[in-house]
Amino acid sequence: MFDSLGTVIGRVLRLGAALVAAIGIVGSLVGYLLTGLPGVYAALIGSGAAFLFTALTALSVLIGSKLNLAGFLGAVLGGWLIKMVLFLIGFSFLNKSDWLTRDSRPIVFFTVVSAVIGGLVIDTLIVSKARLTATLDKP
Amino acid sequence: MQIIHLAAEAATQVSQISGNLGVLGYGLAAIGPGIGVGLVVSKTIESIARQPELAARLQVTMWLGIAFTEALALIGLATPFIFAA
Repeated sequence: MFDSLGTVIGRVLRLGAALVAAIGIVGSLVGYLLTGLPGVYAALIGSGAAFLFTALTALSVLIGSKLNLAGFLGAVLGGWLIKMVLFLIGFSFLNKSDWLTRDSRPIVFFTVVSAVIGGLVIDTLIVSKARLTATLDKP
Repeated sequence: MQIIHLAAEAATQVSQISGNLGVLGYGLAAIGPGIGVGLVVSKTIESIARQPELAARLQVTMWLGIAFTEALALIGLATPFIFAA
């Protein structure tokens, strides 16, 4: 029995969500101990943003795979471009906000980096273990 | 002699640059992932053109390649949180 693209991406999203939840909880505890309540917000924002960023790419591949080649590239690359601009604007507003104190900001960075690296490990493990067909799975 | 004079003038002008250098930082952080994603996509198109029956498998490989490349972009976007003055 072979895995479809939808199955692989579903697995990646489920395990990725579990990992991000774990990083969010650990980061919130560390953040609370270091900087108080803003540290909790910082950890939750960092882990959530990293998950949203990686999950949107996976979803764009899943949606794009149902289209022809040009549609696939449009969905993946167009989605990537829009996502980058939205994250740039979002992080820019976040960096200027008052409620996120200056000493809690590094927690955003460290949770983003740990969630992204952990997500990449999950992606690689799932794709390497997936039983993908060598031929086109669409008739 | 003239070159030395020009270099001294340029050094004076560089020392007078002010503003948010984070803008340059984002531009630099976007170069690498931009080239990387372009290469991943171009090679995937080339491979699908050579062997269209492998498209499903190549799409998964391409997604993994993009995931690794965009990690760099996301870390670049998050650097102002740690490097801000």
